[in-house]
Amino acid sequence: MTPPERPLSPRAVQLLTLSTEPWLSCDDCFSLMDVYVERVLATPRAAAMPQMRVHLAGCQACAEEAQSLFDFVASNPVDPPGGSTAPIG
Amino acid sequence: MIPASHREGSHAEAEVTSTVPPPAQVDWLSALRLPGPEQDAALRNLHELMLKAARHQVWRMRGMLHGHGADFLDELANSAADEALVTLLGKLDSFEGRSRFTTWAYKFAILQAATEVRRQAWANREVHLEDWDRADPGASPEEAAEAGDLAAAVTVALHEALTPYQRKIAVALLVDGVPIDVLAERLGTTRGALYKALHEARGRLRDSLRTTGHLGHDANVGDPR
Repeated sequence: MTPPERPLSPRAVQLLTLSTEPWLSCDDCFSLMDVYVERVLATPRAAAMPQMRVHLAGCQACAEEAQSLFDFVASNPVDPPGGSTAPIG
Repeated sequence: MIPASHREGSHAEAEVTSTVPPPAQVDWLSALRLPGPEQDAALRNLHELMLKAARHQVWRMRGMLHGHGADFLDELANSAADEALVTLLGKLDSFEGRSRFTTWAYKFAILQAATEVRRQAWANREVHLEDWDRADPGASPEEAAEAGDLAAAVTVALHEALTPYQRKIAVALLVDGVPIDVLAERLGTTRGALYKALHEARGRLRDSLRTTGHLGHDANVGDPR
């Protein structure tokens, strides 16, 4: 699958050398994902949870899932009757 | 990244409207914990919501599943929702109320559906963990620096700074594009362990590139200078 003497693409170079500090594990990312998505939905321009942003830049699978959760929640508001749409905490 | 997708209505899924009147957050917890008709109804409602999220995820990633029809995709979504609901119920005590219960629940369905789509997409593909052969075996870090060729410098650093295992993981994930959960399954490890190995590999590559002058201290490739 990996033939010899392939040049690295610019995208591969970028991904290989990406800074992923501060450290956040995939498990921690999953734990925070719902909170992160609601915060970003509530305040799109706020720099919410920088460790999440770093992790999502460096982990394509978590990024896909967070983006999907964001899109799904944004397009499917499911609130308790009389409840607030603002994130808790 | 996510705020840029503040694009309500851009998804086919956005047109789907919920038919499930959800209980309030605290009601979800009490209803799911107490056996009886209320629990049965809550489980049905929750499964319906999670199935909707799983369908959304499968639909997003359907391009990875060439040749499979709508019935197959729906079966995959149902399977993911079933599995995700079991996982969620096992973690019910870990819900802290920091988000809405439904947002918390959706992420289980989305994770499970994404994992199953990737697994299915790679089911008939072999994953070769091959080492990386540098384009110019004779290039030293200094020569690469002189050439001003970042890709060449990274290629050298892949050999000089990484262990063979780190190199194979980094190449499989970031060059060959093997999904991390697929690679984890094939290697008998976890997504978290692979990401940790990748994190350490990136750190070593960055240290090496800083030493050769190819990277500023806190910079990323592509950052404005």
